[in-house]
Order: sequence, then C-alpha cells, then structure tokens
Amino acid sequence: MAYVATRGGERAIEQSERLFREDMGPFDRKRVDEVKQGLPYLIDRVMGEASLYDEDLAALALAQTGGELYEAVLLLRAWRTTQPRLQVAAPIEQDSLFTHRRISAAFKDIPGGQVLGPTLDYAHRILATDVLQGETYSPEPVEPAANPSPAYQPSVSAWQAENDLLDPPADDPTKGNEIPDLTREPLLFPAKRAHTLQSLARAETGGVLALGYAAMRGYGQAHPTVNELRLAEAEIAVTHPDGRQFSAGRVKVSQAEVVDKKGEKLGIGYAATFGWNEVKCIAAATLDLNSPGAEKGSATEEEFFLYHTEGVESSGFCIHFKLPHYVTFQSSLDAMRDAKAKKAAGAAKQQEPAE
Amino acid sequence: MLSVPAPSPAEMRDNAAFDALLWSLSRPGRPRDLPEPGESGIITALLDRECLVYADDPLLMPQIMRTGATLSDIEKADHVFLGAMGTSDPLADIAIGTDFYPDDGATVIIRAKIGSGPALRLTGPGVDGILTLHMGGLPEGFWKARTARLRYPMGFDLFFVDGARVVGIPRSTTVEEA
Amino acid sequence: MSLSTLTKPWEAMSYGFLDGSAKRELRRKMLKSVAVPGCQMPYASREVPMARGWGTGGLQVSLTLVNPQTRVKVIDQGADDSVNAASIRRFIARVAGTPTTMDTLEADLIQSRHRIPEEVLRDDQVLVLQVPNPEPLRPVQPNMSIARQMHADADYGRMWLQLYEQIVRSGRVMQGASYPSLVHGRHVMTPSPIPRWDVPKLHMAKHLTILSAGREKRIFAVPPYTRVEPLVFSDVPYKVEDHGNLTCTRSGTTGFFMNEIPQDDSSSAFEVSDSEWGVKTIRAREGEGESRGETWYKDGEMPQ
Repeated sequence: MAYVATRGGERAIEQSERLFREDMGPFDRKRVDEVKQGLPYLIDRVMGEASLYDEDLAALALAQTGGELYEAVLLLRAWRTTQPRLQVAAPIEQDSLFTHRRISAAFKDIPGGQVLGPTLDYAHRILATDVLQGETYSPEPVEPAANPSPAYQPSVSAWQAENDLLDPPADDPTKGNEIPDLTREPLLFPAKRAHTLQSLARAETGGVLALGYAAMRGYGQAHPTVNELRLAEAEIAVTHPDGRQFSAGRVKVSQAEVVDKKGEKLGIGYAATFGWNEVKCIAAATLDLNSPGAEKGSATEEEFFLYHTEGVESSGFCIHFKLPHYVTFQSSLDAMRDAKAKKAAGAAKQQEPAE
Repeated sequence: MLSVPAPSPAEMRDNAAFDALLWSLSRPGRPRDLPEPGESGIITALLDRECLVYADDPLLMPQIMRTGATLSDIEKADHVFLGAMGTSDPLADIAIGTDFYPDDGATVIIRAKIGSGPALRLTGPGVDGILTLHMGGLPEGFWKARTARLRYPMGFDLFFVDGARVVGIPRSTTVEEA
Repeated sequence: MSLSTLTKPWEAMSYGFLDGSAKRELRRKMLKSVAVPGCQMPYASREVPMARGWGTGGLQVSLTLVNPQTRVKVIDQGADDSVNAASIRRFIARVAGTPTTMDTLEADLIQSRHRIPEEVLRDDQVLVLQVPNPEPLRPVQPNMSIARQMHADADYGRMWLQLYEQIVRSGRVMQGASYPSLVHGRHVMTPSPIPRWDVPKLHMAKHLTILSAGREKRIFAVPPYTRVEPLVFSDVPYKVEDHGNLTCTRSGTTGFFMNEIPQDDSSSAFEVSDSEWGVKTIRAREGEGESRGETWYKDGEMPQ
C-alpha cells in the first residue's frame, strides 16, 4: 500500500500548529489581562478591524495568536459571526459623544474649543532604553486644567452647514433592523452608504493608510483638510422588549471629517471606527472624500478601496498562495509545451526545401 | 477540545427540508419528500429577518411572523406563499429580479396536486431529456401567465407542495402543456 | 416578552459551526444559483475559523448541507491527504459529527479544490467546488461592476477576443485551468481552477455541483443535466491536457490526470492526481479486491 504511507497530512498539520504554539508557551487569564492593560491602542485597532467591541476577547485573541494581527482579527471575526443579534442600538449623534480629544485643522478655534486630549503627536520619540537597565518608566502625572473642556461638543461640519459652506448629508431616517448590515448582506456596487461606512470601519489599518496616502500624495482629486478629528466614548442605547431604553455601556470610538473645496461648497469625507485609531480614520475619510466621481479602477474608486482594504480577505488570499497549486500549474505547463511544440513543428515545416 | 455539537430536532428538520428543496429544484418535476406536510419546513429553513415575505394564506402568517421576516407587498417580496390559488393573477406581480441581479427574482410556494391533472412537458437544466409531469389544482392559464413573466435569467422559481411532497420548477425550466 | 425570548439557550457552538441565519442565507442563495445555472449570485459570506482563500466558500456550503449522516470526502489537488483537505475534513467532522471517507463512491458530499474525482458521480451526490475567483471576465475586466453589466448583457465579446488572440499568437488557447465555459447557453462561468481535463465532467452530469467563493462572496451552480460548454472556436477544438497516455509510477494506472514529479536525471515521473483512485488501483493489483467504480474517461479519452 505504497500510496497510503504518504498520508502524513493530518499529523503534519497538527504538529505544525504545536510548533507555533510552543513559542508562546502556556498562557492564562493573567497574560490576557496584561495584554489588555499594556496595549490598549493595539486592542483598539484589533476591535475596530474585527468589528467586535470587547477588550477581553481582543486581548485573548492577541494572546492566543502571539500578536499575529491578521490571525487575531480573523479569530474574532469568526467568533463574532456566530453570535446572535439581539438588538440594534440607537443611532448616535456627534454632539452626544463623550469627547476626550477633538481637534480641527480648519480653524484656529472652533465652537466648543480645541481639545488636545491624549496624544503622542508632540512627544519626542525617544526609546526609553532605561527600562531595559532595570529602571521603572513612570509617566508624569497629568495636571488637570482649571476649566475642564466640555465633554459634549457640536461637530465642526454642523457650523459649516449653518454657514452654507457645505451641504450636510440628507437626514437618513433608516432605523434599527432596516439599516443595511455588511455582515448580513453582500457588498454590491454602487455601495449603500451604510455598507461603505461599515466597510471602512472594519478595514485593515495599513491597507486604508496605503490607499489613503496614495490619494493624499496626488493619486486622488481632493486634498484633505482635517475638519475635525475626535476620540470619544459613545453610549450604546438599546431598547428592552418592554419598551424602556437603557444603556448597555460605553464604547471607545474615533471619527474623522475631512473637507475639500468642491466648487463653491466644501466636499466632506467621513469615517468612524471602534476604538481610538486616528490614522485609520483620517485615511478612510480621505478615501471617502475622494470617492465621488473617481475613475473606475483608480485607488480612490469605492469598489477598489473597499475590496482591497478588507484585511481578513486580503491577508487570507495572500497566504493562500502557499497552498499547493500543482494541478493548475500542470495545466499551464501542458498548454505551454503544446504551444512550443506547435511552433517548433511550424518552423521545421518552413525549413523543408520545396520539392 | 470542544465536543461535537448535536443538532436540535429543529435543525434536523430544516436540514431535511432544505435537502428536499435543493434536490427538487435541481431536478425539475421530480417529487421529493419534505420532513413534514405543508409549508412549515420551508418557512423555517429559508426565512428570517433578512426576508420580505408575501403570504396569501392567513394560516401561514403566525409562523412566518415568528421567523422575524417582514411582511411585504407581493411586488417586493423575495418569498411568496400563494397557498391554493384561485386565479393566476398574482403571478403578474411577483418580482423577477433584474438583469444585474437575477437573484432578486422571488421564490414562490404554491399548493397543488402532484401526480394528477393536466400533463406538462418539462425541458431544461436538471431534466434528462423530456420529463412529463401531471399537476392539478392550479388556476386556469397558470403556465401561460408564468411564461409571460419569464425573461431569463430574470424570473421566479416555483415550489409546489402537496402534503409532504414537493416539486421544484425553476425559471430555467421550459414548461409546455401537453 | 423578555430578552430571553429573543434568543435561544446558550451553546458553545452551533451544530455545524454556522448559526441559523448563516445557513438560511446559504440556502436561499443556493436555490437561486440552481435556478440560474452558471450565474454568480452574491451572498453574505460569513467568516469561518479558516482564512479567506482557504476554502471558506466551499466550507460554508458543506456546513449548511451536512447532517450527522452525511458522509464527507474532502480533496485538494485530487488528494485526500493534502494538508488543507485534511484540515477541512477534520473541521467538518469536529463541528458536525459527520462520518468521513476517502472513497469517492461512498461519499454523499465531496468538497474539492481544483479537481473533480475520476470516478463518475451519481445523482445522490453533491460536489462542492472551492472557488478563488468566481469571475471569468476578470482577466479582461477587473472591475466587478462593469463585469456584472457584461454578464447582464451576455456581452462576452472581449472574452472571445482574448481566446482568439491567444490562438493567433501561440497557435492554441493558452488557458490552463479555470477554462471559461458557457452554461445552459447563457452565462459564461469559471469552472473553478480545475484542469481542462475535468471540465467535460460537468457537462450533462448526473450530480449537482455547487461552486462557492467565500472571499468574493459569490455562489453559482451547475445542476444535473445542464450544458457546460468550454468556449471554443468551431475550427479549434477543445483540448484537455495531454495526459491520456501517461502512466502512474506508483499505481500503474493509465489514462487519468497526473501530477508531474521532476526527477534528478532531469526527466519526469508521473503520479495519478486522484489519490484514492491510485490507492484503489494498488489494492486491486495486490489482490485486495476491486473497489474502483466507473470512470468518466475510458482509455484516456472522454467519450462524446
């Protein structure tokens, strides 16, 4: 039974997984807690790309995959997909966001004020190598401002709309279960507005940045001005079957509005995601800003950027090229050899002397 | 290691109902058995809150509502339950999808008498040559009304239910009255 | 009404991993794909515990169809022991408790990547093909919206032109696997990256074939007794791989699709690609009885 002897497939895949996991060794709740506490921005990024808001699960996914980000996101997406959907939360208006950071590059000052909030923007990026020598890195304590900035603020685009500088998006009365859900229906083009925003919200950060950056460098028609960038917490309001609305808790969200002049008005691009992820929101809003009228097949066309920033799909397809392709390869070889033989036969015929 | 999850009775029924639907739509005109008589297996196997449903038969309403599906006009419905038909008029309003998205053409479930009544000659995908099927209990002009609506690949797909038996006739099937 | 009436009792995992709403979506779209053979139907493809591009489309179809009695066979490149086939088979058995088999004749459901088994499938069997790229027009039109318009208009002129140009340039159609084929005289379909050898097996077959692309979220089908015609010009006939005369060095079988194995002396050896066919041939040779079924190809030729 010569053939059967080669059937090592099952054992091989099991051992290869063991090799991968051996590197991380055993882990427990403590490691999950450490990941959660020590890497909140990574947790945010993973929650955004997984479109699943749960810090514990995100930390668990990171611990379980050793920080292989694509694997962590896939793990969460696969878990999410099987969960029952009990409720669709009430829509959230911008001025009901509990705001930690909110800045505008469009105006020196804005109604509600510029709120710098937590950021590394002005930090000197010097590696704290002392820690490796045994020192403890203790951040300086925050000194509270004399006048705390207001927690709830209007959006900058609301002011611009009032001043006839831009046309705000038309009111969308769609509610609850009626809102198109990207995970319950396929993405088709032209995409529904909800699908576009959901797709950007769960897009892979690096992919959005690459295409958004291409648009910023000149492969797009619009040059973004950050109208408003906001890091906030949003109240998740759901309705009990008995009709009472209650809060299911707060989630961290980030959002960006970018604008550019479009004729006599401003055009606006928007993106929001779970967790605090500024790069992704600005890049995604830039793509959104550039999307209307973009040439088919260009990086700023909706179909192009939504398909190619889907991290689970793109990473999965990329690594699938590791799978054996010898049937397709054999099929191509056959066609090539036959074409070559035909050519050789044709050449030989031409060289035959005329009778 | 997780233990193997066991299917619930409802899960098994839906699985069997769909098996009958897929098998019979793949082989137009050849009857297959549903796990239980009537439309209920079809309703739970296919419908949920993603669906827009039209039903002519009030007795089916409670079960349809329980799936979370939204009731709709016949023109918009993706699933249409016509019960025992009195006239073939409803066929004129059923969604046939678009050139772009033929899948928007509805799935239509009708009560009929399988194996008795006028003879029909079926040809098309799923039929090995020509198949003759007897089907009764349908209103006058039913097949003409169906043909008038088909713009392949646009069209709607039919399931006929007779007790626990089901026959599928997709839009790709050519039906001639013998 | 209370919150608990909106959901069902908690379980660690649904039967077959997919929840009810995922299965219903697959069911609805499978019916539509059967109703319009060869037409790509969009569906809300779910994430499953496997990477996209690794058979997630085929897996969702299989998980929707199986019950604890369904005997499942999984192959990749024709082989049951290929690592990803082993992984998928193990997953289906683990979440759905299905019996598994390597014997094509014993299987109720066969999930495959890149091959159709050499033994003829019966009308009680379902073949599920994994599809990386469901759009046959992609080489001539990468934009999906435009390609969809072309399908709507049955506008396959550029497809024909591409084949014509290949013949002019190379003396033959250079398409290897995934040979574009016209289904029921209306829709051009990719048969998935099966070799040209396997495409005629779909034409007027007795079994149902479902093709599913999880990453691209498209599902399509070839019902039994459906015309599947490779796109060819009347004066340049369809040509399958020239494997009809090759002999498997391990099993001795001749007349089936082979894997080429480069040898140290720069020659090639061949092994039959359908691994279970090879096993059955060896068993017969070693006097363990005949278990081989009827094959599509006879003496290396597909009967017309």
